[in-house]
Amino acid sequence: MKITLRQSLALAAALALLAAVPWLGSAYMTGVFTVCLIYAIWAMGWDFFSGLTGRENFGYPLFIGIGAYATGYLDANHGISPWLGLFVAMGMSALLGLAIGFPTLRLKGPYFALATLAAAAIAQRMLLILWDITGGEEGIQGLTPLVLDTVRYYYLVLGVALASGAVLVGLSRSRWGLLLRAIRGDEASCQAAGINVTFYKIAALVISAVFAGLGGALYASYQMQVSPQIVSVLMLVAVVTMVYVGGIGSVYGAAGGAIVLSLLGEMLRSAGEYRLLVYALLLIVVIFFLRGGLVAPLWRRLGKGATP
Amino acid sequence: MTDILVHGAVTSAIYAMLAVGFTLVFGVARILNLAHGAFYMLGAYFTYLFATLLGLPLALAALAAIAATAGLGWAVERWLIRPQRDSSMAVMMVTMAFLLVAEQVLLVTFGSEVVNVPAFADAKFSLGGADIGGQQLLTLATAVAALAVLWLLIQRTRAGAAILALSQDPLAAQYMGIPIDRVYGRVVALSAALAALAGVMAGPFLSTSPHMAMPALTKAFAIVIVGGLGSLPGSILAAILLGYAETAVAYLVSSSWTEVVSLAAVLLTLLLRPAGLRGKRAAF
Amino acid sequence: MTHIPHFTRRAAVLAAALGAMLGAAPARAQGEPPIRIGISTAVQLQIGRDTRDGAQLAIDEINAKGGLLGRKLAMVVADETEDPEKGISAIKKLTADEKVDAIVGGYTSGVVLAQLPHIAAAKTVYINVGAASPAINAKVKQNYEANKYIFRIGTLNSLHLAGGLVSYMTDYLHGELGMKKFAIVGESAKWVQDLIPVLKRGATAKGLDVVMAETFDTGTTNFSPLLSKVKNSGAEYMVVILSHASSDVLAKQWYDARIPVPYGGIDVKGQDTDFFERVGGKAVTAVAGNYIVRAPLSPRTLPFLDAFKARYKRETVYTGAGAYDAVHAWADAVARANSVQADAVIKALEKVDMPITTGRLQLDDTHDVKAGPGLVNMLWVQWQEGGKRVILWPREARTGDFAKPQWMQ
Repeated sequence: MKITLRQSLALAAALALLAAVPWLGSAYMTGVFTVCLIYAIWAMGWDFFSGLTGRENFGYPLFIGIGAYATGYLDANHGISPWLGLFVAMGMSALLGLAIGFPTLRLKGPYFALATLAAAAIAQRMLLILWDITGGEEGIQGLTPLVLDTVRYYYLVLGVALASGAVLVGLSRSRWGLLLRAIRGDEASCQAAGINVTFYKIAALVISAVFAGLGGALYASYQMQVSPQIVSVLMLVAVVTMVYVGGIGSVYGAAGGAIVLSLLGEMLRSAGEYRLLVYALLLIVVIFFLRGGLVAPLWRRLGKGATP
Repeated sequence: MTDILVHGAVTSAIYAMLAVGFTLVFGVARILNLAHGAFYMLGAYFTYLFATLLGLPLALAALAAIAATAGLGWAVERWLIRPQRDSSMAVMMVTMAFLLVAEQVLLVTFGSEVVNVPAFADAKFSLGGADIGGQQLLTLATAVAALAVLWLLIQRTRAGAAILALSQDPLAAQYMGIPIDRVYGRVVALSAALAALAGVMAGPFLSTSPHMAMPALTKAFAIVIVGGLGSLPGSILAAILLGYAETAVAYLVSSSWTEVVSLAAVLLTLLLRPAGLRGKRAAF
Repeated sequence: MTHIPHFTRRAAVLAAALGAMLGAAPARAQGEPPIRIGISTAVQLQIGRDTRDGAQLAIDEINAKGGLLGRKLAMVVADETEDPEKGISAIKKLTADEKVDAIVGGYTSGVVLAQLPHIAAAKTVYINVGAASPAINAKVKQNYEANKYIFRIGTLNSLHLAGGLVSYMTDYLHGELGMKKFAIVGESAKWVQDLIPVLKRGATAKGLDVVMAETFDTGTTNFSPLLSKVKNSGAEYMVVILSHASSDVLAKQWYDARIPVPYGGIDVKGQDTDFFERVGGKAVTAVAGNYIVRAPLSPRTLPFLDAFKARYKRETVYTGAGAYDAVHAWADAVARANSVQADAVIKALEKVDMPITTGRLQLDDTHDVKAGPGLVNMLWVQWQEGGKRVILWPREARTGDFAKPQWMQ
């Protein structure tokens, strides 16, 4: 994969800016960027599966939620360290990915979207019904942060986000990604060509789930609490909007989309009660006018002139 | 017990009106209209607006509310859905966004508290020992009438035949000269009208707030999954099944478990028979 | 699909973003900077708006009298919605970005609990005016050094509420009206689950018969099954515990079915001044617990209610009075401590003893409002014909008699 000079410069500049956030902005902005980077992990995870295979995973918040609740529950009730919780979260969401993937991925067309959406709704309900374990509407509080210092937390999340990005973008550019895209194009032909379509789809979903859970655990520990809103439709809409703004299917675009939208969210803070309305309108605008997104086309433009 | 029989019927009636429109749009236009819950909400709110705030007589207000929502439904199809038809993901996202916009607009305009949609009937009736409000009985009657009218529309009119044709074979229907775009618009408008009717009738005794759209949507597609996407009889059957199951659980066990019923039904359906009870379109 | 070149679009967004980032830098002070009070509340709800407006009223009163320590008071509002994530972000905005001197607000216990560690980390005084969970102030005792910043003024914690409700049931409904059989119905939130056993114990201890106790999903919109069960249980009174659930719908469905069981209890939405109107009058004879009603509970009650109504053209719910009292109490502590430094203010605030709109304010050793005669009490107020509100209990505050639903007369 060739990368042009312009692209490398742009990438370096972006990385430098990200690394310098704690020096450029206030402690508050560092916090905002920390959450923003966690969203970037989530967005990239979603794009890796749904963007590449074209199968809309509307139950994605479930994987985020199980990661967050797993680490939260263990921390609050058994004093398990959130560092260990990170790995437990990834494991749990991987298992959940398998559990959901097997029955739903063989469904055609919109059934997969509906099924995953239903699964998420079910999960959100169960979180409330099992209030004994999950804390119900109030959730679980008093969690231990991974590191105590705001700046250190930022760099931790930045590191994880960069690593996640590297893995996901790398996979999407490899033979894997090619296969997934082929499956989106024409699943029947792939099957006929002898490719184990089911294996690849489920594997991709599990990978997507793992990163969702990882982000969920990071988030729970950062907020020091976990609540049912993390599994809501709004979370889904936020993540998908970020992916769209970034450029669906590019994976790296999703990270850019997360940054753009988080900053936008902050700017809209003064809009108070109108904030969500503006967000929803923005989603419509993005779908209509920015189908290809903002970040991915920009990157490709910088790539023009590369030797093939 | 008569309580379960009577109240279960009312619940089933509302569910049927909600689900039938949703499955109709899918069966015909092959799209999941996630804005559906918003039409239910708008039916109730438009009634509130026309009757309470503008002072129109209730019957007129209700009709205007249904017409307005149907019009909105048509507009959503024409300007939000149609341009995005090539991508099912885009359609879902854009209709979901519409639901959010509707919710937020109502929130900002009317506040987050429940508003009082006036009822047609205030009296109380006693059917064999079961106490029921007049509005609830009226809802049941209205649902039966509406579904009957819908059936007649589809079976006996040309427009209905066009809808049927499109749902069976879009390509052939096109070859036959059926204006598919116009039919799609009508179908979405029709489904919006049905959802709005449910909102108009149930709004007075259920909760009318900007938060009523999402639960309605979730309930609609739970029923539709169980009944089979695209099957009208399936949706009605599932609506009755789930309506009664929920009511029975509420009476015999506890009201906290009602939501579990529909969710369990959805899970079971997806695991055992994803096409649903009467699913026409193969799920595999 | 090319309109504006992507470069320009992207550049514009980035420029705006950088602008926002830089805008987060603190403004330069001109003259004596004002003392800033942050309001963290759910602005979209009535509760939130009243919190903000009640606080504003207090701030304006203090400023009119020359301010505090020679400086004016200013207010900053952050929307915490009912979502813990937004709540935490609101606290961070107020403390890390706006650097306010104190925070007043709160409504949903879950949100406040989620915000606590972040408030403690920011070492800023926080006065909760809306959330009733005892777990919030328990943290003050568990770890005083970390959590001493947390106070509650304006609402009684749910244990006091339970005590008040038990008294309403045993001394009034049973003691004066002779009722024996009770049904208890509440939303399935954690605080309610904790409350119900307390109620049952208190009631049965005085010889009452709790024939039914059930919780329902907070999102329930169809209460018909529940109401039928209550009717068939033989209960003479339905005690309700509602906060986020839809009181409006319950009232309407209760009335529509003419359930022959009067009801009342902790009903947060039933306190709203426009509640009666919202349900088209169908809440007649329903009883809700209130902190503040139009009655001379203290010398400050009526002047406050009149001032609020005159300025904002509406009546307030309990958080409006709570925020008003909280700001005055904090200002009083600052004046006594002669400083806005958190540690000094905390010491002074712990010793507060002043009249507030709902009675007299004193705090216990967990920084929680003390309840009791002469202090703050829950008033059991019944909606009567025409939207009139009548205080039934405690006896000292009574302004009228119990009215039965029209179909039970």
